[in-house]
Amino acid sequence: MTTKSTRSPRRRTVVALAVVLAVLAGFVVRLVDIQVVNAREHVAQSIATALGSSVPLYGTRGAIIDETGQVLAGSVLRYDCQLDPLLITQIDQDIAAEKSRAEPWQEVSADIAAITGQPVEDVHEIVADALAENANSRYALLIRGMSTQQYRELADIGAPYLRCFQHPARSYPDGAVAGNLVGFMGTDAVPLEGLELTEDSCLEATNGTLDYQQGNDGVVIPGTAREVPPENGGTLQLTINRDLQWYLQQLIGEQAQNMGAVSGAILVAEVGTGKIRAAAEWPTVDPNDVAATDPDDRGSRIFRSQFEPGSTFKALTAATVIDAGGQTPTSTVIASSQETFANGARVRDAFAHPAYVYTLAGVLIDSSNAGISRFSETVDAQTRHDYFQRFGIGAGSAVGFQGEASGQLHPVAQWDNQTVYNTSYGQGLTTTMPELASAYAAIANDGVRVPLSIVESCTTADGTVVTPELPKSTRVVSESTSAQMRAILENVAIQANYSRAIEIPGYRIAVKTGTGEKSNGTGGYKAGAYYTTMIGFAPAEDPEYVVVVTMDEPSKVASSAANATAFQKAMTQVLKTYRVMPSTTAPEELPKFG
Amino acid sequence: MSTSALATAHAPRREDAPRREAPRRPLRVVEAPARRRRPRLLYGIVAVLGAVAIGAAQMSLSILTTQSSYELSSLTSQQRDLTYQKQILYDEVAGLASPQYLAANAAALGMVIDESPTYLRLSDSAVLGTSAMSFGRSSVDAIGRGTVPNALIADTPLVTHPDATIQGAPVETVEESGTGGIVNTPPPITDGLPTPSTH
Repeated sequence: MTTKSTRSPRRRTVVALAVVLAVLAGFVVRLVDIQVVNAREHVAQSIATALGSSVPLYGTRGAIIDETGQVLAGSVLRYDCQLDPLLITQIDQDIAAEKSRAEPWQEVSADIAAITGQPVEDVHEIVADALAENANSRYALLIRGMSTQQYRELADIGAPYLRCFQHPARSYPDGAVAGNLVGFMGTDAVPLEGLELTEDSCLEATNGTLDYQQGNDGVVIPGTAREVPPENGGTLQLTINRDLQWYLQQLIGEQAQNMGAVSGAILVAEVGTGKIRAAAEWPTVDPNDVAATDPDDRGSRIFRSQFEPGSTFKALTAATVIDAGGQTPTSTVIASSQETFANGARVRDAFAHPAYVYTLAGVLIDSSNAGISRFSETVDAQTRHDYFQRFGIGAGSAVGFQGEASGQLHPVAQWDNQTVYNTSYGQGLTTTMPELASAYAAIANDGVRVPLSIVESCTTADGTVVTPELPKSTRVVSESTSAQMRAILENVAIQANYSRAIEIPGYRIAVKTGTGEKSNGTGGYKAGAYYTTMIGFAPAEDPEYVVVVTMDEPSKVASSAANATAFQKAMTQVLKTYRVMPSTTAPEELPKFG
Repeated sequence: MSTSALATAHAPRREDAPRREAPRRPLRVVEAPARRRRPRLLYGIVAVLGAVAIGAAQMSLSILTTQSSYELSSLTSQQRDLTYQKQILYDEVAGLASPQYLAANAAALGMVIDESPTYLRLSDSAVLGTSAMSFGRSSVDAIGRGTVPNALIADTPLVTHPDATIQGAPVETVEESGTGGIVNTPPPITDGLPTPSTH
């Protein structure tokens, strides 16, 4: 039998144990509550109330590099410096009361101004203005964008009222080279223009933070540092070749000035791949000093302007009539310098001549409007419209540049009697430089149109390479048509009246000019002002590169001959840059007249 | 403490129950309990030493941590200084590798960009191209009329022509670093290219 004496100690043990367990359970619950359930709040609270500090960790914005890996846009650190006007006045009062041995503001400000490069009066004014607005002002922006050297020198002054904050900024080591494509950033690190803006998702860095607690002496208390690491942006590689881009920008700058043009541009595309190797224009913004460039010149005219092409479209019409109209380079028409057509349309040539029996090659060599109009009658207007469309006219390019323009190709139903013929020689419609380059690349590339591209790839911080998706290549004309067109355009290069000016010794080239008229804004054409184009590819027997040179309103020579020197030098440099071997075969000469 | 412990405590009792009716045994004096052995001194010493060792280890670890946190702090500041230096140096050379600067330097030496290229094919020693040269005529004028600006090196004198910039303009004097201003002038080469001295 269990007696009271034997039972009570056991019960006591059980009760004591239960109490201990209950207390323990209570502690465990509270511990889980503190350490797990509400951990974040408590940590935040401790950091907020204790000596916690937090500094942003800036990720580096990705670089923009060229085809060969040369940096076109990189990241640097800049410093924005600010003053504490109230503290300045207090310290000056202390000095006056002989309580402080610090240097007076008059002297310190002179040192500061010498480093920042501002006049001393400006520095004084910044402080005076801030105090005038608010006598207790504690913030006045001194200057933005100090270099590291300047920042270190300012820090060495050791003035308690001068503080600088670092922020990432952009630097463009090559200045205006490809400035039209790369674009630029605003002072607040916001991308404003060009690829900096459109490829921001690749380039953008994610900032992190470093939270820690520090002791009185500024040393981080061990175990309190918590770092959220920043993520760097990706590296954007372009198809552009930097050295070629520089040469062509220098060249078009000189040539456009020589010809008294408003602006000029050169576009180079690789025939087989559609990669744009250079897109040079004058004027071009220097992204290091955006303010120095007129706001109208800060973008890319190559991608944003459309123009009436003129005679360069004769090659597209010729390709159409060969491909769909059964014509050959030696097919003939009879055309005089002024022709009247059955529907009443009248077409004139740029020079007077009697009725010639022109071959198709001859029509392009002499750039006869009347001749190409006669040839255009071998196919119907709808077919020509569809071929223009297949050449990519009016569709823009696959580049998708920010604000990219596309040409205007009206439906056939809107073509009046005159437009039916005008379109065969590039009037009554507009196009863009990329569209034109892409169409000629298709003629050169055995009839296959490869979409143009300017971005090679984006390599993210973890090394993943992302290549942009491009539309598929499409066949525009047959291989045989392409070969016949190459022969015709090569004969233009060797037989046209400007052939001497564009000759590249050792190489066979193909070329066509165009002189587009400019709208005067009221439905008519601007008198004496033209948009001149010269487009061609080389080597003619196995084309590798297409080069387009345009000038807006050249005034010294107001025709497409203005572009000849620029084209010849540009094409020579392209062939040199890519080590294209000189031709070893001779061109076959086509007859001009039948 | 668990059910097994309780079970063993109960088990003998149930066996005892039937014996309760048995005649009582005569009482007898229990033997004196064995004298408790004195705890050995060694255990005590070990325990105390253990506690002291733990305390010492903890203290030394704490000292080491604090020590290394100061070391870390000084290394961090050293790293910061070096980063500043790196940035300053990077700023100084920025733009010097740009094509404008290279071309202007070459042009100042009288180098020209020739027109058509000529290639020598090694396999059969054939000369491809025109093999003609255009002496003294450059296809672009990189120094006389530079049309590709670069604000980073706008006032930087050329290495090959210290009186000119990439625009061909006379050099604007930049204030020396002692009094402020950005100095991005490459050091002048007076005795030819620097070479390492060997024995």
